[in-house]
Amino acid sequence: MSTTKHQTDGPRWGMVIDIDRCIGCHTCEIACKYQNDVPLGLWRTWVKEIEKGRYPHVVRAFRPTLCNHCADPVCVKVCPVKASYQREDGIVMVDPHRCVGCRYCMAACPYEVRYVHPQKGMVDKCDFCYHRIEEGLLPACVEACPTGARIFGDLNDPESEVTRLRETRSVQALKVDMGTDPQVYYIGLDQATMEIKREVELVWDK
Amino acid sequence: MGQIVYDVHYQTTLAFLISFYFYCTGLSAGSFMISTLSYGFGFEQFKPAGKIGVVAAVLLLLLAPQFLLMQVGWPIKSVWNHFVYLNPVSSMTYGAFLLCLYPLNSIVYGIFMFQGNKKWTKFFGTIGIPLALSVHGYTGWILALGVARDYWNTALMPTVFLFSAMVSGISMMILLIMIRDYFFTASREINLPLIRTLAKILGWLLAVDLFLVFSDYTVLLYSKLEAQEVAHFMLFGRMSFLFVVMENLVGKVIPMIIVLTPRLRENNTILVLAAIMNMIGILIMRVVTVYGGQAIPLM
Repeated sequence: MSTTKHQTDGPRWGMVIDIDRCIGCHTCEIACKYQNDVPLGLWRTWVKEIEKGRYPHVVRAFRPTLCNHCADPVCVKVCPVKASYQREDGIVMVDPHRCVGCRYCMAACPYEVRYVHPQKGMVDKCDFCYHRIEEGLLPACVEACPTGARIFGDLNDPESEVTRLRETRSVQALKVDMGTDPQVYYIGLDQATMEIKREVELVWDK
Repeated sequence: MGQIVYDVHYQTTLAFLISFYFYCTGLSAGSFMISTLSYGFGFEQFKPAGKIGVVAAVLLLLLAPQFLLMQVGWPIKSVWNHFVYLNPVSSMTYGAFLLCLYPLNSIVYGIFMFQGNKKWTKFFGTIGIPLALSVHGYTGWILALGVARDYWNTALMPTVFLFSAMVSGISMMILLIMIRDYFFTASREINLPLIRTLAKILGWLLAVDLFLVFSDYTVLLYSKLEAQEVAHFMLFGRMSFLFVVMENLVGKVIPMIIVLTPRLRENNTILVLAAIMNMIGILIMRVVTVYGGQAIPLM
């Protein structure tokens, strides 16, 4: 498995999502919105749901989606004002004092996890609830997940559960071909959740 | 083989304002190039296009960044932050410098031209050429470095943008020169040799532009899944009327046939029509490129 390019002595936060445990209850979405005051109609994390098969052999596949806190984030590269930056512990952040809302990072992000905050006029996204981590708590989505499908921890720590899962289970990350080295890993991810996409929406449709 | 039960809506990243911004910088770069043909390179037959070219270039490039400022969330802060916190690996950083340098240089060049100072006009005209090429080339480069979108992420994008800039600029120059000669001169005599030479150049540039589009699409159609999806969407999907008919047929192919056919080219009404069609086609090209790149969902 690839390791982060920005190795530090301190922690490197990452997440493993066990899809086999996910029941599609969307609690993580609600917890995130509540914790981070995410505006109506926008999400920092969400659970994409796919239904496949033919009755009675039908299955639902889930894909919890959030910022991948890439080790080599393209959003940081393209930001003209260095508002998107990466912390020592690997969390990719948006500096609200610098961001001017040009949306170039949104155009470049392969995961579509960024949005423009309608009131603040700048780009916002998942920050792994850094304010909670600094207090020794878990991110809101991890804390709220009733089945423990989201596992958060230090990828630099050989004893942590995320490291153990990443090293002992079959994991995959999203769009590794983009060369961004994403740090959110999935166990049991169904390919259909990536292949089946929402309808094309054009501005003049609205 | 399945369907989406739940997924979230995604915001459109770059909007119409960006298309207009691209369009205006393109027109500006194109008209600046025509203006330097005589004052920078010494092609005397283009001299009557010099002054009107530089005026158009300056006005359009003062207009263009306004669209950009309307698009960003924090217009004033964005001007300041681009210089204070500049990120050397972001293409947009260079755009901020170019958008300041190019209009300034064009204004100085224009002032010397109107004063009749040949030496300095030539000097600033020569500096202006790489600036004009960069100020428009970089807009294509911005899209090309939006790496997530297969439609944009091609090395051809800056070149495609340069050629579309030149064709739309020349079409605008043809119209402007005709309007000036017909309405604002005592003799009301249109400088026909100049117009027809510009028309011929327009024709060959359109041919190159069409070749670039063809080359881009053949690669997209044979490339990876997302590239194929976006190519199908543009050619046969919901964007096909705008892309195939309006941009390429009405905006490029028909004008090209008109300006490269001597009998049609010599009819002023048809020539005006071709120039207008081309200008509309390139405006549609900007809209189609900006929206087409974002139309296909990524995840």
